[in-house]
Amino acid sequence: MSDHSDVQPTDGEPRSSNGQAHSSGGEVRPAGGEPGGPADESGRGYLPLFGRIVLANLAVLLGACFVIYVIVTPARLSKLATDEALVVTLCLVTLVNLILVRRVVVPLQQLTLFARRVDPAQPGTRFPDAGAHSEAGELALTFNEMLERLEAERAQSARSVLGAHEGERLRVAQELHDEVGQTLTAVLLQLSRVHGRVDAELGPVLGEAQDAVRTSLEDVRRIATELRPETLAELGLVSALATLSENFSRRTGIAVSQELQPDLPALTEETELAVYRVAQEALTNVARHAGTDRTDLSLLDGTGQLTLVVRDYGCGLNGSPRDGNGIRGMRERAGAIGGSVRVGAPTQGPGSEVRLQVPLS
Amino acid sequence: MTRILDGRSGPEHGSAVPDALPPNGTTRPAPDTRTTTVLVVDDHPAVRWGLVQLLEDQPDLKVAAVATNAEVAVGLAESEQVDVAVVDYQLGGRNGLWVTRKLRALAVPPRIVIFSAFANDHLAANCAVAGAHALLSKSSLGEELCSTIRSVAHGRVMLPRVPPAMVQLLRSRLGPQEEITFGMLLAGIPEPEIRRALGLSEEDLCRRRTQMLARLEALPGEAPRDTMSS
Repeated sequence: MSDHSDVQPTDGEPRSSNGQAHSSGGEVRPAGGEPGGPADESGRGYLPLFGRIVLANLAVLLGACFVIYVIVTPARLSKLATDEALVVTLCLVTLVNLILVRRVVVPLQQLTLFARRVDPAQPGTRFPDAGAHSEAGELALTFNEMLERLEAERAQSARSVLGAHEGERLRVAQELHDEVGQTLTAVLLQLSRVHGRVDAELGPVLGEAQDAVRTSLEDVRRIATELRPETLAELGLVSALATLSENFSRRTGIAVSQELQPDLPALTEETELAVYRVAQEALTNVARHAGTDRTDLSLLDGTGQLTLVVRDYGCGLNGSPRDGNGIRGMRERAGAIGGSVRVGAPTQGPGSEVRLQVPLS
Repeated sequence: MTRILDGRSGPEHGSAVPDALPPNGTTRPAPDTRTTTVLVVDDHPAVRWGLVQLLEDQPDLKVAAVATNAEVAVGLAESEQVDVAVVDYQLGGRNGLWVTRKLRALAVPPRIVIFSAFANDHLAANCAVAGAHALLSKSSLGEELCSTIRSVAHGRVMLPRVPPAMVQLLRSRLGPQEEITFGMLLAGIPEPEIRRALGLSEEDLCRRRTQMLARLEALPGEAPRDTMSS
């Protein structure tokens, strides 16, 4: 992702790409140096790692000087040579320390910023510079592993919840068909039977009753289909989406222009169902919130991933909740199959779009 | 579905007097060959009862047998030699298409009317392949069922037209020889003409229909044997 470009070291210095210190002499100063470290301004209650290490080094250096001057007493060395040796040593040690410390601190700052920006709704983001090459790298590695575990766990629980959900839908759909639908059919048959025997006065009444039962039968069929799309299991995703859009247009009067790639690679049942449900939910949202009479539905496969886009030409997202239940539901569906959903403004023109991307392994 | 015939068209109608309804599941021989005898197949008691009542009220129709599942239906159709079988598409394990295949293989096959709550284009195509003669939605059971039974008994085929998109989609699952047969079946070309055009025996075409249904995954529990002709 775009971590590198966004991460700015807080010490206000231009940062070299590998996090190394600059070699200019001005920076090499005793007592921790002027940059001061990022911690000074942010008012933390502890001395930052940077300062701690530099101070510790200085202490060691001073100790060494003490040993040379007081204990060893270099009788054989001239005073001048000793001073020079001391200054050179001091500079060298500080420089080396700065380099070493910056190598640790800069990636840590980047990691902190990255960790703040991690969005559970957009899984798959990882800290790029992770590895066992340094303490910071190892921390980043651990952090990435933790993200991995959390996302896997999240996807797993979403899968089991959605699985239970789908099971329940199937049960309700079957019950609707087997109980309500069959009883209505029986009633319709009885009404038809009586219809031929009643007089002219009651005929129209009975006709109306028959029509009402027919409408109810159609409703039962429609609701059962929405709960459990038969077409998906029988004819696959593309046909199911085509049927979905046609039914949607018929019901709502919103035109759906479809662009469905016919020769998709084989998808798992779970993926097909998830894509179908996201499309279904997105269309429902269009009908509820967008206030438009046309929408686009496309399903394309390219560069190793499947992309579903439902785009409308309505009022955009200003008036409607950005993260309602519907959108969360879509995210969960996507997360359960390792994909992601983006809800926002289309690249050009009015309205809004829902974009589902599923990696194809 | 459009109603094509409107009553008064059974073969020599009006001579049969409906007599007492037999209990569900029992059979009786067709009392009068001049009426149209019907086999009713449905697994739901209330619907079954409603169907039998409705048909028994028609002077020219006679319910000769009632079956509650697919296997029983095939046995009854063979022993009773009915004119028309009225079959629910959803029958638990087997479906109406399976029944259709079995009935069409009988020595004296009945005409077949399938009805379903989900009578869509896909099912219409499958019905044409299976060799059913009519498809009805459950919401049009009633007077329309009676007229449809009379029509198919007269030799008409009343399957809805299948839109080209659905034809294309289903065709892509078939082998080259099957595709041709599929197109001809959906176009409503009579079976003898198809056999003549493709040089198939009656048995060959029968086998091919079943094979195509299996390939279209329309026969649950029967995997397609891999004999895709090229």
